[in-house]
Amino acid sequence: MADRDVIAALELTAARCRRGVVRMVRSGGAGHMGGAMSCIDIVTALYFHTLDIDPRDPKKPDRDRFILSAGHKCLAQYAVLAERGYFDPSLLDTYGKLNTKLPGHPDMHKLPGIEANTGALGHGLSISAGMALGLRDTHPTARVFAVMGDGELPEGSNWEAVSAASFHHLDKLTVFVDCNGLQISGRTCDVMNMEPIAERFASFGWAVREIDGNDMTQIIGVLDNLPLETGRPSAVIARTVKGRGLSFAENQAVYHYWKPAEEELSLAERELDEAIRVREAM
Amino acid sequence: MAAYADPRKVFGAAVAEAAEKNPAIVVLSADSGGSSGHGEFKKQHPDRYFEFGIMEQGVVGIASGLAAAGRVPVFCAIAPFVTSRPFEMFRNDVGYMRQNVKIVGRNSGISYSDLGPTHHSLEDFAIIRMIPGVTVIAPQDPGEIASAVHAMFEHEGPVYMRIGNDPIPELFESGKFVIGKSRILREGSDVTIISTGTLTGIAIESADLLASRGISVRLAAMPTVYPPDREMVIESARATGRIVTLEEHYTIGGLGTIVQEVTAEEFPVRVRKLGLPHTYVSSGPYRELLAYYGLDAAGVAASAEEFVGQTQASNH
Repeated sequence: MADRDVIAALELTAARCRRGVVRMVRSGGAGHMGGAMSCIDIVTALYFHTLDIDPRDPKKPDRDRFILSAGHKCLAQYAVLAERGYFDPSLLDTYGKLNTKLPGHPDMHKLPGIEANTGALGHGLSISAGMALGLRDTHPTARVFAVMGDGELPEGSNWEAVSAASFHHLDKLTVFVDCNGLQISGRTCDVMNMEPIAERFASFGWAVREIDGNDMTQIIGVLDNLPLETGRPSAVIARTVKGRGLSFAENQAVYHYWKPAEEELSLAERELDEAIRVREAM
Repeated sequence: MAAYADPRKVFGAAVAEAAEKNPAIVVLSADSGGSSGHGEFKKQHPDRYFEFGIMEQGVVGIASGLAAAGRVPVFCAIAPFVTSRPFEMFRNDVGYMRQNVKIVGRNSGISYSDLGPTHHSLEDFAIIRMIPGVTVIAPQDPGEIASAVHAMFEHEGPVYMRIGNDPIPELFESGKFVIGKSRILREGSDVTIISTGTLTGIAIESADLLASRGISVRLAAMPTVYPPDREMVIESARATGRIVTLEEHYTIGGLGTIVQEVTAEEFPVRVRKLGLPHTYVSSGPYRELLAYYGLDAAGVAASAEEFVGQTQASNH
């Protein structure tokens, strides 16, 4: 059981990162907010609790890798990387501007800490599996973590990677499926139902755990106990809330891509500032 | 009679040789390694040979991840299955990520002549050269395939290599393969034939036929399809004032179009493009199918002769 202080510190950091997401939306005028907010607790926990990384040496060969397969959720990763010290947070104010280093999908050649150029869905898991396979002999301590969206699960290429990771026993590979249950057209179960997701991964030979992906205690609980099973890749089916942290946006598909009016943007900033203030006071 | 060799065996042996020197090289297979000449490599380096079964999209993505982890992956399978099928993975995971991945299309063009259009690759030059930063090479004889394999590994960055299936004759003295450099096989004054890949042997035979008919052919063998040897193309345009291109690819988008792009910008001359018509081509025995589309020595010579006559008439 993780220390309560550790959990509280991570929750405060996640609150600050949520504020970073909205800071970028103010800069760019719009962004893929909903999914960024649903996965940001996981991304925060990875960068601040789990990953063996060094922001001052982002390419160190034996580092752990993080791949955001659902590249449109990059606002979450950008906010976390800034908070973690990979770059000056003022860079967040270039989001959406000409020649920004923070494009709408991440570019590894523009920003330190980005490991793959994701954005087209169904790519990240293959890349992650290749990394895990490539590191296994040369850097056996290095682990690979990927975050996927539930909306990208129908992409067939994912299941090629799911098969390969299991067949090659890549137990240094952990995938979080950010199941916020919503995508552009509506509820994921109505658009293309991929349930039972946990059983699907299990049937391909993965070790599977289902958690509340916005509950830091549960996230840390799984991260501190990897691999879930020796010899198998780990799939964490993370049930999350799209738009989490903004009262007006939670669980609404329309906030997948958010182009706020000033009033709503100000409200978001006030809500998140308040969330930070409350956590700082704890 | 020149010695013939199986391009896939030559390729596989060259990869094994390169891998002896470079321990980072790993071989990927989509149920394709044995047919790609990797049998020996698999025996010698089981820890550097990864089988995935038939899942080419996944394998290209995995190749990107392996490269990101410092390995130098080479993935060879039937040409359409490593180009058109996983195109987005090639574009994003290999090209856009600038990964040091080597993808090799074998049985390219119409060399699986009897298997029909699903197994033909007649657009691979066109689509892969559209991916920025990818080098596209089509070595032309056994020695050149071997030297191109070494050049491919020495080059830091994504490479697409294309080889055929039919045994091919030795055409040149072997030497170092320099990416971007062509070979001038003979000088001539009436027309330049620029060829690449599997059909350069046909180009040489057709030049002999044309010489016997009093047509002086400059022969340029261009194994790097992209980026093109612009200097050679411009020199050819200047030297002969007309160019015939020859490739086992659609006549649009590939070598012929590349030559036209260069001449149109630098030194406009007439270009006749020989290759496959832009359709789902027929099937049958390989050499017969090539001849059916005018891609045997007699067909190429007839096209070139007609082209020379036609352009001389129009110049008067």
